[in-house]
Amino acid sequence: MRAVGFAFLCAVSLAAQTADPAYAFLSKAYERARALDYEAAIEGFGKAAETSPLRADIRKNLAYTLLKVGETEAARDQFAEAMRLDPSDRHVALEFAFLANETGQQRVARLVFDRVRTSNADAQVRATAEQAFQNVDRPLAEGITRWQQAVAGDPSNFSAQEELSRLAERRNDWALAALHFEAAWRIRPAERHLLYDLGRAWSEIGRAEASLSALLAASRGAEPRTAEAARSLLPDRYPYVYEFRAAIALDPPNIELRRELAYLLLEMGERQQAESEFSQIAKDAPQDMLSLVQLAFLMMKRGEIAAARPLLDKVLANGGVDEELLDRVRSALQMPKALRRREEEPKQKDAAVEARELAEKSYQAGYLKDALKYLTIVHESDPLDYPVMLKLGHASNMLKLDREAMDWFKMARYSPDPSVAGEAHRAYRNLEPQFQRFRTTTWMMPFYSSRWRNGFTYGQVKTEIKAQRSVRPYLSMRFVGDARGSTNQPYAQYLSETAFILGAGIATPVYKGLMGWAEAGAAISYLKRADQTGRARPDTRGGFSYSHARGHFLGAERPGLFYENHEDGVFVSRFNNTLLFYTQNKIGYSRGSAQFYWNANLTTDAKRRYWANFIETGPGMRFRWASLPPAMAISLDLVRGFYTINEGNPRRPNYFDVRAGLWYAFTR
Amino acid sequence: MAASTLEAAPVFHYQIAGDRAGAWPRILSSAGLVRGAGGVTVVTGSAGAQDSDAWVARAKAGAVLILDGDSPAAETFGFVPDRMRRHLPVRSIVDSHNPKLSIVWERTVEVPAHKLPDKAIVFARERWDGAPLMAGLKQGAGAVLWLAVSPGEKGHERFPYVMQALADLGARPGLQSRELWAFFDASYRSRVDLDYFAARWRRSGIAALHVAAWHFFEADPQKDEYLKKLIEACHRQAIQVYAWLEFPHVSERFWNEHPEWREKTAIGQDAHLDWRRLMNLREPDCAREVTAGTARLFERFDWDGINLAELYFESLEGMANPARFTPMNDVTRREFSAAHGFDPKALFPGGARAGDAAAQRIFLDWRAGLTQRLQEDWIAEMERIRTRRPYLGLVLTHVDDRYDTRMRDLIGADAGRVLPLLAKHDFTFLIEDPATIWHLGPERYPEIARRYEPLTKRADKLAIDINIVERYQDVYPTKQQTGTELFQLVNLASRAFARVALYFENSILNPDVPLLAASAAAPDRVEISGRRVVVESARSLGVPSANPVSVNGKAWPFWDGATVWLPAGAHVLEPVAAPTAVRLVDFNGRLRTLEALGNGFEFSYVSDARAWASFDVLPARVEVDEQPVSVSLRVSLPRGQHLVRVMAQTKAKAD
Repeated sequence: MRAVGFAFLCAVSLAAQTADPAYAFLSKAYERARALDYEAAIEGFGKAAETSPLRADIRKNLAYTLLKVGETEAARDQFAEAMRLDPSDRHVALEFAFLANETGQQRVARLVFDRVRTSNADAQVRATAEQAFQNVDRPLAEGITRWQQAVAGDPSNFSAQEELSRLAERRNDWALAALHFEAAWRIRPAERHLLYDLGRAWSEIGRAEASLSALLAASRGAEPRTAEAARSLLPDRYPYVYEFRAAIALDPPNIELRRELAYLLLEMGERQQAESEFSQIAKDAPQDMLSLVQLAFLMMKRGEIAAARPLLDKVLANGGVDEELLDRVRSALQMPKALRRREEEPKQKDAAVEARELAEKSYQAGYLKDALKYLTIVHESDPLDYPVMLKLGHASNMLKLDREAMDWFKMARYSPDPSVAGEAHRAYRNLEPQFQRFRTTTWMMPFYSSRWRNGFTYGQVKTEIKAQRSVRPYLSMRFVGDARGSTNQPYAQYLSETAFILGAGIATPVYKGLMGWAEAGAAISYLKRADQTGRARPDTRGGFSYSHARGHFLGAERPGLFYENHEDGVFVSRFNNTLLFYTQNKIGYSRGSAQFYWNANLTTDAKRRYWANFIETGPGMRFRWASLPPAMAISLDLVRGFYTINEGNPRRPNYFDVRAGLWYAFTR
Repeated sequence: MAASTLEAAPVFHYQIAGDRAGAWPRILSSAGLVRGAGGVTVVTGSAGAQDSDAWVARAKAGAVLILDGDSPAAETFGFVPDRMRRHLPVRSIVDSHNPKLSIVWERTVEVPAHKLPDKAIVFARERWDGAPLMAGLKQGAGAVLWLAVSPGEKGHERFPYVMQALADLGARPGLQSRELWAFFDASYRSRVDLDYFAARWRRSGIAALHVAAWHFFEADPQKDEYLKKLIEACHRQAIQVYAWLEFPHVSERFWNEHPEWREKTAIGQDAHLDWRRLMNLREPDCAREVTAGTARLFERFDWDGINLAELYFESLEGMANPARFTPMNDVTRREFSAAHGFDPKALFPGGARAGDAAAQRIFLDWRAGLTQRLQEDWIAEMERIRTRRPYLGLVLTHVDDRYDTRMRDLIGADAGRVLPLLAKHDFTFLIEDPATIWHLGPERYPEIARRYEPLTKRADKLAIDINIVERYQDVYPTKQQTGTELFQLVNLASRAFARVALYFENSILNPDVPLLAASAAAPDRVEISGRRVVVESARSLGVPSANPVSVNGKAWPFWDGATVWLPAGAHVLEPVAAPTAVRLVDFNGRLRTLEALGNGFEFSYVSDARAWASFDVLPARVEVDEQPVSVSLRVSLPRGQHLVRVMAQTKAKAD
């Protein structure tokens, strides 16, 4: 009988432990807390809270233990979490508010005390909250009155204005706080943290645009700490031009802000407006050499070389300017001045030799900025050194200075050394498309499928009009077909449409691997259609595409792992207006010109058709050899497929497929 | 002894390999490390380009290497520049030791992106991009600490938690000191376990706590109980407890109950400035009540000392801000008018003498004199309290006016007038560096010490107060001192002054607590030779040892089981087989000499206040200056300089 009882107890205990995933952690935590081993108890309660994140009681226990070791802020945060989990627990709310008050969050504490004192909690709790509220509120109210009197007597009293703004914020009177943050900042504009505080206060009273202006101005100021704090409150996106202008209107002497706007305008191709901003900086802050140089460059571009030269001379004469900037100025002045001066220097040759050595070392070590600087010096001393031009091109290219890189490659193409000229020519051709008005991309992917015993080909020729807009128009011709088709009966699974699809569309630029596109046109079958209708049919399609790859790619210098992920969502009108989603993943190992990987692909559609819902997985390899054109690779995959929907599927629910194919793409 | 020390893996030394030491000596010495072979090796400049395999071998054998920036050595360990990525402009970082702390660099630095070895532990990352900037890698018995860029010229402007990262990698500084003072405000610790905290304070090197006494000025059963427990917990850990008074702030209740005695500002408002509610101590009734209340405070609690702090006027803006200027109460105005024929209120905007520089000078000089009279009066009052409690230490906390010479006019503080009082009274002059210079580097402490040197011959009575608080200035990388900056402050201050106080214990950030005692250590020399360790220091030191030791060839009874505690001077430590029959395991006075006797030991000490000594076993007899005192495991010893003899129980009795 006793044994039965024991077994029952064990079962109950086991059941309790099974039912409560936090049990083991909690019992250990309580035991350690009783032994005054607070660190271990905190760890135990923490793990219990992770295991059962919705239990307010664990949070409370954790908070009380944290209080024992003086971790007041952490305890406050745990009470906050407990309060969120159980809003009806007024004791927890009070605990939180007391700790908030203790840890400098007086405003929040006051609000919570206020909420509890006016709640339907029991009388004692309300009385405690009332007392606490008055203890917080009364001194704030008295302080505000006192400092308002001081400000009334002397509005230029900075410390009184600031004190008043801080008290008002703690009392949750954001309108009053904003008023005096602004007044204090106007008295001492160099105290840029007040601009940040003003931005916060304006945000609280619903002045979103004004708030953004203040934060934007503060984020581009001279105080890095304030700038970083303001940055954390700004939206993730880059500010618009009108927002820059509003911020400048609020904080006109902010040179960094105006300079950034000028650069933004330059990027946008608004040279005239950019020049106007740089001119303004040159007037307001003539010591700002960076802006002076840009202004001079813009003037030179407009042909005002005589007017620009004194500005550049001023920059050259200014000893406190960054050497890199000076190099750019010398380049802009087309060197005669620098070269003449260097000829007068007896150590000129040594300097050039040293610069060449440093350039080489920097280039090899990957210090590309330094490499660029030293290569420029070498180029200055020997303007006909074509290998140096080629290196300048590569360094600029790696620093994403593609336009400069193109200029260097363009010059290096005239090298008498065919290897230098050839390499420069190839590099120039690679970069050229991104700076052309039109860009034509061609890709094709023929492959053979053992399952279908058929060859398929996808391909597209697309000409894109490059524009400084968020979308780019294009014209496209696609080809989707197979070798065995004699009538127009699409292999739906491979979307073999036996057609050329002509269309016009728009596409977004690629952002972090993501792009969107849409096009409309006609699909013209190269076969006679089975339903005896005309060969041309309207065709609209669109979707998004996301590609992401990490690791060592095909042809990488060093072997290593790689991972590729492609996500596509495509709407195709021709297949009964369906929406298809693909995810294609490869993970594997690259070594030289070969890759060995594992495929994991999923296809699904909105209309739940069997042919568009399947999973494929299996090994594969991809390789190329040196004599192949760039961007051409051969692949071989062995996949096992499973249909995830079999309703209407005339075939087996799973299959093997061996695919051998070729990928080729180029841009002109 | 040396062997056991090294087995415990504490670090005493650092060395610089290469030709570019940079700020590393300043960083590493801030935690009590001295230059010498072994320990931490900073691989710099040309050394980083030398045989990389040799560095790997050294790390695997137990060396802790520091690599800053790119070098072949760094690449060998797997810290490789990612040439596919642009340089990253870095201005703000996140450190895993305190992820919520805002760490902002004064100047943006372009840092190359790096790839890290798989097992690297990332300590610091760029805030927005997440790129690693400081990381560690365990290598065999040793480790590597890698930084993407140098730590800066001063050593603390980029990576505050370098020493903590080294400690995480196993390189924990070995030496420590336990002579710090710390200010304490109960309102931040109302719900802590006081015994837990007292032990923690002692471990972090604190010898005395200066407790904000205004919270206890009026009797309150609950609060009084708390304070009694706090004092008992501190005494158990050999920590003295001073009553810290902030006159003319008396207490919140005193302010509320006596509106008629409130101090006034120059615009006629009650002087409630920041957290302080200032009373008019020139009002005789007010002064009488405060005196009586203070006497009661010393009757109710077992204090070890008194800290009379910041007894002068407001504010740091001086006459430029009448809304904060004190004293402007009626008594003061009448006294001044009687002496000089005009009301000082006339000096402020709208007054008849506004802008009159000569009249201002007369008033400001008079005000500085008034401050001195107040200070003398209250020192005399404290001496009266001390007549009944002679063990009480006395501290006068006074803002520095030698480095920032504007203090006399701004707040009436004039150290030159107060320091001569050291000839008449036994007190410690605790110099507080004013808020106006909190942004200056740690080198200010030796400079402050130098400027006070001519003012007094009692340099042993000068102490410095380091304010560990958020500074109002534009300071980098952290608003409040932490990590290397704090350690540099504490270390340089410890070398420059007889005593260092920290304001305040609650503001010391958690990552700093374990290394605080090491930063207070100021060794001049540490040499390890086989089993011997030679230590030389102008201040007392603790040397880690799991075994009992002999010092200078004689048994050494001051060993707590983990650390040997030494007075100032040069000492040779060697392990011995057995400890003495009775040991001193804790003591918060200044040890001068210690000698083992046949069945006990004798030591001399000096202490500013009553000192506390703890023994490992109950002694048979304790004598102070040849007079027996009552025996227990923990005894209090008198203020001043004394000789103590401790005799162990005979073997049979002890058993």
